[in-house]
Parts: sequence; structure tokens; C-alpha cells
Amino acid sequence: MGRDEGLNRSGFADALGLSVLVTLAGAWELMVRSKIAEVQFLPAPSEIAAAAQSAVFDGQLIGRTLHTVGVTLLGWSVASLVGLGLGLLLGLSPIAYRYSMTSFEVTRAIPPITLAPAALLIFGFSLKMELVLVTFGGIWPVLVNTMGGVQKVAPELRDVGTMLGLSPRAMVQKIVFPAALPSVMVGLRLALSLCLVLAIVAEIVGNPAGLGNGLISARQSLQPALMFTYVITAGLLGVVLNAALGAVAKGLMPGDRARRDSSW
Amino acid sequence: MRRLVERVRLGSLPGLLLLFLVLVGWELVGSADSPFYPAPSSWWPALVERGQSAAIVPALVDTLRTFGLGLTVATITGVALGLAVGASRVVGRATAPTFEFARALPPAAIVPVATLLLGFDETMKVVVVALAAVWPILLNTSSGVRELNPLLRDTARSLRLSKTRTLFSVLLPSVTPSVILGIRVATPVALVITLLVEYLTAVNGIGALVGDAQRTFQPARVFALIVIAGALSLAVNALVRSAEERVIRRRRR
Repeated sequence: MGRDEGLNRSGFADALGLSVLVTLAGAWELMVRSKIAEVQFLPAPSEIAAAAQSAVFDGQLIGRTLHTVGVTLLGWSVASLVGLGLGLLLGLSPIAYRYSMTSFEVTRAIPPITLAPAALLIFGFSLKMELVLVTFGGIWPVLVNTMGGVQKVAPELRDVGTMLGLSPRAMVQKIVFPAALPSVMVGLRLALSLCLVLAIVAEIVGNPAGLGNGLISARQSLQPALMFTYVITAGLLGVVLNAALGAVAKGLMPGDRARRDSSW
Repeated sequence: MRRLVERVRLGSLPGLLLLFLVLVGWELVGSADSPFYPAPSSWWPALVERGQSAAIVPALVDTLRTFGLGLTVATITGVALGLAVGASRVVGRATAPTFEFARALPPAAIVPVATLLLGFDETMKVVVVALAAVWPILLNTSSGVRELNPLLRDTARSLRLSKTRTLFSVLLPSVTPSVILGIRVATPVALVITLLVEYLTAVNGIGALVGDAQRTFQPARVFALIVIAGALSLAVNALVRSAEERVIRRRRR
């Protein structure tokens, strides 16, 4: 995985950066208002804010956001459990690794987007289709990172476990899993963003609910301001989910290592 | 076959056993005209029957073109912005919230907006792909610049190299590994987003073909195209990896 520690270590809310963001929004507003550069269907930030306000008050924004968050979290949880289980198995058992790893590599290479049509044919326009797609896509980052983390556990740590006479189960619980945790967390985080994207894809093409559906129906009814509201909500949702997971990671892995590994 | 598998860096050939067993089981249980799980042996015929095979190659070309253009645009923009963000603290601080927010926008959500503002054409597709693939390249370039040995910059300064000279003979060569790492991370993203745009807009390419097969209820064809998309993604990733190795080997010399 690439280095991905964010653009600014000193934090998200920086006065200079925020003022740039505000200036950009102001320039956009001015551009649309003064019709200097007219782009068809491009709403001004103030129109987006108005659309967002009414979408909040009539309840559709909150309801749809809750749906997307729910599906994302549910699919991600199932994907995490499956990915963790398979990752531990492949990382711990050389036989399982030898006879199945290439199969997982091949399956993982399939872009999850192309599975949406298959899921649509099999499950129809339903919640099930959305859940299956989200879960399937989320498994791979967790699997790969769990396996990698387990395989990279320092042999000295295992030796300590053997010396203490730990049972295989205790060995996994007390030595292997904690040592692999930073890598597992990276996988969980990648999976969470992927699950959100897949949920929105599924909502755009299949399951008529959630932010993706709101987005596409605003597009079809030519309400660009409402459409931007959904896009921005989806972006904020990504940031919030990521930050929440980062906070959990910090709680799970206190100390120096956690600070280094969760600087995202 | 073994050579091919090694080339694509999949691991060992016996590792395909599980997939093989699943497909054999599927073949035994499924039938060719199942509306949900058509047997694997029916996939290939479904792809080529009734003159539909003619559409595959142009679709592959379309997909590869959008992918290539998108990744190129992302690389150029990502490296330029990454150098600026990495070299200057002020630029980094000023752009961080804007970039963080833009990065968080799910590409799937951008597609409907892009079609509304830019229309259904190649430019729109390339913009969406580049917008999604630019972040890994930007981030890796900027952290590459930040982690640069200060000695290098000091040397350039004491040699009184011009700004352009410093950029091309010091900065760019030393961040190349970071840039390439960024491109490697961005490659699968660019491919997935290419397929996504094609699927969502139904304009040309493999993604549009899959969508079309789904809307006309041809499950065997859908599965065949999924296999093609998987093979495409393996091939593209292998290509980028071997290019990466070649560049790194040349630098070592």
C-alpha cells in the first residue's frame, strides 16, 4: 500500500487552508452570479446551501444518509469478519496459502464495479444486491492486509510465545493478532472507504435508496443544487467515517506505534 | 502457463486449486441457461454468439484509451501539484483542506455531476478518471519531496543551480521512486473508475458492454465480461509493475 498519511500532519482545520477553501467558494459564487464564465447547470454555493437546508428539513437527506451509513457499516462488518478469518487462515497455514492464494489473487483482481451487473441480475433491485456488492468488495483489503501482517510478525515474538508454552490459540490471541493489528487496521480503513463507494454505486444503479439514489434522482429531475448537496454529503460522510475509524485505531493501539500508524 | 502466472506475480500455480474446484462445482451444479448462475462452460459461447464478438475489441480499445489518458492526466497534475505541496510549507497548508475534501468525494458520486456539466463524451470520462487517480500520485510525490535529504537541496544551492535546473536535475530524479509508487497505487483505481464511468453512462467500453448484457438479461455474457475485466486488471497491473522494476533497475546502475 502507498504512503497515505494525509496532506497535512498538523491537522485538518488550519486557518490558512480554511481561508483558501472559503475564498474558492466565494470565487465560485461570484463566477456563477456575475455570469463571467457560464457553465450550464452549475449552481452557486449559496443555491447548494439552500437546497441542502430544505433537504435537511424535509428529512430526505438524513434518511438517505442513514441508509447509506447503515448499509456501509453492515457490509463492512461482515466483510471485515470474513477478511479477518481468511487472512488469519492464509497467514497461519502454509497449506491453505499454497493451495488457494493464487485463487484469491485472481478473484481480487476483478474490479468490483463489474460485479454490480451480475449482482443486479441475481438479486434484482434490492437491498440484498447492495449488501452483497458492498461486502464482496470490502473483503479483499482486509484479507490481504491481515495475511500480510500475520506473515510479518517477528519470529522472536513467536519464539517468546513458544518459550512461554502458549497453546496455538493463545499464541494467535496474545502474540500474532496484536502484532498484526496495525496492518489489519490499514486493511479495515481501506475497506471502509471502498464499501462506501460501492454502496453509492449500488444505490445509483440498483437499490433505490440512500445517497446514491438521491443523487441520481436529483440528476434526473434536473435539480443540480440538490445533486451537489448529495455529492458533498457523500464526501463529508467519507471524512467522518475515516476519522471515526482513526479514533478507534488510536484507542486500540495506544503508544508510539499507534501514533505512527494512524497518522491519517 | 507457469511463466505467465509468475509474470503476473500471482504466486504459485497450485494456488489456483481452490478457484478451479469452485468453477468445477459451479459447472456441475449450474446449467447453461440458468438465469442467475450460468455454468462457466456457457460463458465463452455467450460472448461470441450472434455476431456479438465484433464489439469486444473496440470496447477494449475504448476502455484502455480512457484509462491511459486518465492516468496520464492524473500523473502530470499529481506530480506538478505534489511538487508544489511538498516543496513549500505554505502551499501545503493552504491547499490541505481543499484537497482533503476533494479526495474524500466518492468517484461514483462525481460521475452524475460530470455528465451533467461536461456531457457524455471522452473528455468527461478522462476528467472523472483523472480526478480519482490523482490523489495517490499527489500524496506520494509530496511526501517524496518532504523526505528528500536536505543535503541534496543544500548542494544544489551551493552550486548555485537555477530553479529550473534544480527541478529537473535534482528534485524530479530523486522523487521518481515515490512518483512511481503513486502511479502503481493509482493504476487499479484508474481502471476501476474507467469501468465505473462506462457502466454508469453506458458510453462505450467494457463497462458499457457489461451494463448492456445485464439490461438484456444475458447472465452468461455478464460473467464472460467479468472474466475479461479481471484479466484486463491483472494485465495492466503486471505492466505497471514491470515498468516500475525497469525504472528502478536503471536508476541503480
